[in-house]
Amino acid sequence: MIRIQPRRRAAWAGIALAILAAPVPRALAAQPAERVPPAGDTPVPPSCPDPLGIAIERPFAARHGIGVGDRLDVGPEPRGRVCEAVVRAIFEPRPDPARLTLERPAVRFSFPDLAALAGRPDAADWFTLGLVPGAGPEGTSARLRASLPGLQVLSTAEVTERASATFLVVERFHGAIAWITLVAGGVFLSCIMFLKVGERREAVSALRLVGISGATLARWIMLEAALVALLGGGLGLGLGAVASALVNGFYRAAYDTTLVFSLVTPGVLIRALALALAMGIGAGALATYRLLSTDPLVEIGR
Amino acid sequence: MRLRYVVRELWHHRLRTGLALVGVSVATAMLLDMLMLSGGLETSFRRLLSSRGYAIRIAPVGTIPFESEALIPSYPTLRDTLLDVPGVVGVAPLLGANVELRAGADSARAFALGIDPAEQGVYRLLAGDPPAEGRVVVDEGLARDAGLAIGTRIELELAGSLGVARRVNVRVAGVAEFVYSARGERVVALPLPVLQRLAGRGDRIAFAMVRISDTADPEAVGAAIRARAPRVETFTVSGLVERARARLSYFRQLSIILGSVATAVTALLVGTIMAVSINDRYGTIAAMRALGISRRTVVASFTGESLVLSAAGAGLGVGLGVLTAGYLEGVLAGFPGLPAGIRFFVLDGPAVGRAIAIVLGVGAVAGLVPAWRVANLEISRTLHREEP
Repeated sequence: MIRIQPRRRAAWAGIALAILAAPVPRALAAQPAERVPPAGDTPVPPSCPDPLGIAIERPFAARHGIGVGDRLDVGPEPRGRVCEAVVRAIFEPRPDPARLTLERPAVRFSFPDLAALAGRPDAADWFTLGLVPGAGPEGTSARLRASLPGLQVLSTAEVTERASATFLVVERFHGAIAWITLVAGGVFLSCIMFLKVGERREAVSALRLVGISGATLARWIMLEAALVALLGGGLGLGLGAVASALVNGFYRAAYDTTLVFSLVTPGVLIRALALALAMGIGAGALATYRLLSTDPLVEIGR
Repeated sequence: MRLRYVVRELWHHRLRTGLALVGVSVATAMLLDMLMLSGGLETSFRRLLSSRGYAIRIAPVGTIPFESEALIPSYPTLRDTLLDVPGVVGVAPLLGANVELRAGADSARAFALGIDPAEQGVYRLLAGDPPAEGRVVVDEGLARDAGLAIGTRIELELAGSLGVARRVNVRVAGVAEFVYSARGERVVALPLPVLQRLAGRGDRIAFAMVRISDTADPEAVGAAIRARAPRVETFTVSGLVERARARLSYFRQLSIILGSVATAVTALLVGTIMAVSINDRYGTIAAMRALGISRRTVVASFTGESLVLSAAGAGLGVGLGVLTAGYLEGVLAGFPGLPAGIRFFVLDGPAVGRAIAIVLGVGAVAGLVPAWRVANLEISRTLHREEP
């Protein structure tokens, strides 16, 4: 799939001609170029299609008590000329985070109706091309770009990349915040482990003096640290799942959408648990090293 | 004397103290960042909107500036109407269109702004002259990337003008900083009538900015404008900031949640450290009490220890917070379409003061609780209890 996107305004008939002539870029160049048109070049006057049927998104319709069959006034300009439209359908809008905070509702018209209403009978904001099997989007895009100067020809991958730019930034921001949280959590865990191990320094020293090796003691302490980290991690996962459900419930209700705001996947669970375990073992190893590197006789206060 | 005792105790347990300091400073840094984030956008957006001295924005009714393709018709009439409103001093109209810019064999995409050269509402001229018939002003980045100098001849073609090409030949008259343009956005400003002709927009504009006298009230002037021109919407700087707050409420909510987490981490960390520290010294405390040292002195000593720990951690945390805010700002700078002048993290005195006050308050309470508990232990029983 390829999207062709004339940023503001495009001559619809001109685009169709150019697409048909795509392998011959000169097809367009041969057309006479008009200089700046004279002042007073105004769009075609808007007209009211009769009948004019529209579809309205469900959240807006619900908020305003609009139902199928209701008659509404619609117009291309606020407080300008209006046409009477009949609501033919109520639709559930596609969950789209980019539209969350938009205040205006999504309304669907048939293409010719909207073109007539807006007074732009030969214009399209963008359109999508289906390709025949075997035609590569990149190669076709490049050929079309050469034939359509002034227009943007984007493959589906490029459209996706552009549309995701905001969310990639948010994702990177979340990643950065997560690292800061991890550092804070790691330091907290290290403190707790040091304190826990420190509380038992005399008992551990006594065990060392009766012949239990440092390696055995280290294994015990590390195992304990791993268990504490696993238990804490498990509790944290439960807390996270509850928080995720609360976040989804709150924001879905706030924005009246079916979007998933927080997604707990097995991958996330495994990563979180692995990180908790790694941090616990790391903190335990540091505490163990400090405990076993001192002389047991000094520790028990010979 | 008491402070010396507190410092000596903390020094005696250097590793524990060091870890606690790192923990408190990381938590303080996060708290400071979140306090900066919660008010930063608002402060920065307000500064940006006020930077050129225009107190009111005007857009087609039911829209906000550049949110839709709706245009305001009959600008000359609207301009006369606006200038008749008491308090209005000047009007800066704006129309936008995407253009293809060609200089010799090179071409670049740019966003063209049709403006009134007498009103520098959206740019700060750095070199050369304002736009005029046949002369345009380009932004610094565009001039640098496309190798444009004052006097360079360029051709502007309306993007999407397929079939009927709309072009105009102009010269670069000046280089400017466009205060509302996004990072990396290439902007060219030309007189409004030239862009209106190029884009075939008749006498329409996308929106306008209104300058009012120092004594005029923006809300009252806005109401007067709406009464005289019912097809337009007016926005004061405060109104736009309020809308931006609503749209970017995510960052405020995130800052509240993470700020609370940071505060809780500080409380837990200081509370745990102090509890363990006090546990280690049961015997000493009982002995002090047996020697006649008052409960108040004991509680004050431990609370002081907690405060010293929190204050030192907070001091380090402020520095760390400024560094991490710079890093996070760099991450968020990639937001597409956001004016380059917008900052998410704005360092100001009140935010730093609040962060330090919260950490000290939480630290004091976290130290006070175990200290109060131990100060009320029965002396004789505690003296017989073995210290761990």
